[in-house]
Amino acid sequence: MRSVRTDPLLSRLVKRVLEIARDLGRTVPEIRFFLLDGLEFAALLEKNVYPASPLNLWEGKRMAHRRHRIETGEETTLYYEVVQTGDPAYAYLNSANSPVIQASVMAHVVGHCEFSLLNVLRDAEPDRTERVLHLVRKAELARQQMGQKDYVEFWNACESATSLAAPRSQYNLDRTVETESRPSPGMATEETSSRRRPILPVFDTLTELLHPAEEPPFEREIRVRRRQQALGRRGYVLRAPCQDVLGFLRLYAPLSPAERRVLDYLYETRAPQEFVMRTQIMNEGWAMYWEKQIMLELFRERMIPGVIEYARVFSGVCAPRPYFQRNPYHVGYNLWCRIEEDLRHGRLTLEYQEETDLERREAWDRPVPVDPIEAMGRIVRTTTDAEFLRRYLTKEAVEALHLNRLPRPLAERMGIRPADAHRADDRWVWLEPEAVRQEMLRFYVHFHRPRIYVVDTEFRDGGLLLYHRDDGRTLRQDWIRPTLRNLNRIWKGPVALVTRSSLHAYAGGRYVQEEVEAVEFEEVRERMLRGEKALAA
Amino acid sequence: MAEDVIESNESEGLFNDFIENQLEDLVEHVVNEGDLDRLGDAGSDIVIEMDDIVPPTFVYDDEGAGAGGRGRGPGREKDRLRFSLPYERFMELVARKLGLPNLTKTGQGRIKELSYTFRTFGPVGVILDKRRTFRRALRSSIGLGVYDPAAGRFEVQFRRRDRRYRVPQRVERPRFKAVVFYMGDISYSTWGERLEMEKRLVGFIHHWLDFNYGAGNVDHRFFVHDVEAYEVDPDAFYRVSTAGGTRAAPVFELVGQVAVNEYDVGSTNFYAFYFGDGELFEDDASHIVGVLEDTLKPLFNRVGLVEVKPSRFSYLNREVEKAFPADPVIRLAQIKDKKQTVATIQALFGEAPHA
Repeated sequence: MRSVRTDPLLSRLVKRVLEIARDLGRTVPEIRFFLLDGLEFAALLEKNVYPASPLNLWEGKRMAHRRHRIETGEETTLYYEVVQTGDPAYAYLNSANSPVIQASVMAHVVGHCEFSLLNVLRDAEPDRTERVLHLVRKAELARQQMGQKDYVEFWNACESATSLAAPRSQYNLDRTVETESRPSPGMATEETSSRRRPILPVFDTLTELLHPAEEPPFEREIRVRRRQQALGRRGYVLRAPCQDVLGFLRLYAPLSPAERRVLDYLYETRAPQEFVMRTQIMNEGWAMYWEKQIMLELFRERMIPGVIEYARVFSGVCAPRPYFQRNPYHVGYNLWCRIEEDLRHGRLTLEYQEETDLERREAWDRPVPVDPIEAMGRIVRTTTDAEFLRRYLTKEAVEALHLNRLPRPLAERMGIRPADAHRADDRWVWLEPEAVRQEMLRFYVHFHRPRIYVVDTEFRDGGLLLYHRDDGRTLRQDWIRPTLRNLNRIWKGPVALVTRSSLHAYAGGRYVQEEVEAVEFEEVRERMLRGEKALAA
Repeated sequence: MAEDVIESNESEGLFNDFIENQLEDLVEHVVNEGDLDRLGDAGSDIVIEMDDIVPPTFVYDDEGAGAGGRGRGPGREKDRLRFSLPYERFMELVARKLGLPNLTKTGQGRIKELSYTFRTFGPVGVILDKRRTFRRALRSSIGLGVYDPAAGRFEVQFRRRDRRYRVPQRVERPRFKAVVFYMGDISYSTWGERLEMEKRLVGFIHHWLDFNYGAGNVDHRFFVHDVEAYEVDPDAFYRVSTAGGTRAAPVFELVGQVAVNEYDVGSTNFYAFYFGDGELFEDDASHIVGVLEDTLKPLFNRVGLVEVKPSRFSYLNREVEKAFPADPVIRLAQIKDKKQTVATIQALFGEAPHA
């Protein structure tokens, strides 16, 4: 690994790319570029794009696998770019790439860094990489304190919880857990404000009968007192289902200082993945869009040769794929181009939407006095993928981007008969675009992952109760027990999971499964907001 | 940061340690159930499969088990890890797991294997030993008084004479020679499970001796008998069969003669293994005891007699045991089921039994 400054050509390219980006009005944080060889790149990817990581079995396994694949030629080391956003951002270039590809990577990274800085979810914390490197040292210290065996065991247990990090969920820690420093979590405040009753001028029997209080004052007072007592005793009260299970365990599980350091590292490195999931299409599209603008400028200046090579790589990266193999570069880039085009012709207006004459719609060209690039920046600042797709991935866009188009052999393998399809020819089968659009939007409900919430921390004598929100799909049964056992290792008390009408509990080395009454998520939420138990013990 | 290398060597090492622990558990299974015939030439890698390791999480029922990959040379099929293990490493693991001691080697042959190891150190060379150099430099600096923490002096001077380099040293290892005689009874019905068990044992012995002496240094010779004894090629050892009576003593005599007449008894390590059902003529066993006593025992490093799926009429081992109770050279074993392969190997090659 060496700084890009050690290479005069690349150093010049970095300087020029950043200058062009600023000339194009881009907001660019400090970006530090480094050059890596193929295996270093592979290792970096296994370290969640940080240059160091604490000792762990899983990274070793993945890296051994990847190294074998590289050595046997099953996998190429031609990774184009990896960037860790933040301020400063760290971008890593592959030393095997040609100068034109290096330039395109630099331009691409500029797009990512700007997006992370501007987006509503903002993923550009100051000194993120430096902080993680600090946590790596802390985790290594923890290994010495815990001893190798305990450390590896604890890390392995934590791996079961890493997929349960959801810091940007509407049920995140800030909105669901009340602490002494955060007395009114968002969820509870919204709930109480929506229920606020009008001030009544007269308090008499008739008024109480006409507008009965939802909760008698005495009971409300008892509930508040209990909550305050719990707050005093434990330091927190769970006010609503908390989806950020990993974050919850990190803060409130009775961990030793060494264990907490391990969990801190895991949380800090895994939590940003949610940003990627929630913004991948916009983010990659934005990066591709600005990459192309910057590259065109570089080619115009004749700063680098290789326009054909760039065009080949670009078209490969942005190749269309069916919706279930979604290619975020392709979808994102083309949607941003369509938005820009629509903005230039004034098609993103109410007037255009209400126009019913097809000919006039097709010939529509009524520019509005809004700079399209500035308007696109506003979209970045205010939306994530879910809203972005809901607004701009129209049925026409689905068709235009070939998201509903499948090669005929693939469709046959998937059991889709041409008769069931929207239309078909000898080579392709097209699916119903609206159904494809809806399916793509559904991804943002659950990200193809089970939704698990902490709903009780005093379940059956201090047990942690998790709730699986039913998506119509069952959990893999034989993994529930080992997962609960691992969570039990972190929580150091009984841990249980409710999924549909089954309660799986693990305590004191014993695992039991029993039938309980199925409760809907909304009911659980309501009960918790009322200060009741999510599930009767 | 510019000079740093991004790597996962330490984590890979942890993973490899984990795999080695798993492998030790697997070895017994591989020896009992694995395809030992296809171990291939000594020196080739052995492909071993095991269940994938994946951290359990809450996932949907219809999802795969997740990622995998494994070891030195990992490959992955669904829920299984495949990785190749060097032949030597596998045999080392077998030896450790089965508690097999190194075989005694006699005969300091004149032919020597030469190699060079960097075990000694000198003032000149190419590979600087930093630890030793620093230790000497520190000692000198203390002696010269330039390093004296009590006086606030912390300088460590590196002088030319403090440098210590790793120096190659010529190592001569004698090449040992061994010959192993496999003796088979072709008069009993050697087919099906019986044949498979015999092949498995012969295969293991073949590899174990090759591993101990080096593949090119071991002669493997195959003999069969009914009422007479013949030398055959390895394939015929499993194929030929006759019906009728059987006398095993001639094959022991023949092996004894071949050993004395064709090999230098002073520099060769002799091994002999007999496989049969143990059903012999009445005076045959006592004759064999005589041959063992007079010819084979003084000459051979190890003689193993294995009764394969013995019946109640098998009495070879019973008779031999009476003559050689708990003998370090003459080893007796019975195998009734392929799951007893490991126990049989331990009986043949394990530590000497106590009387």
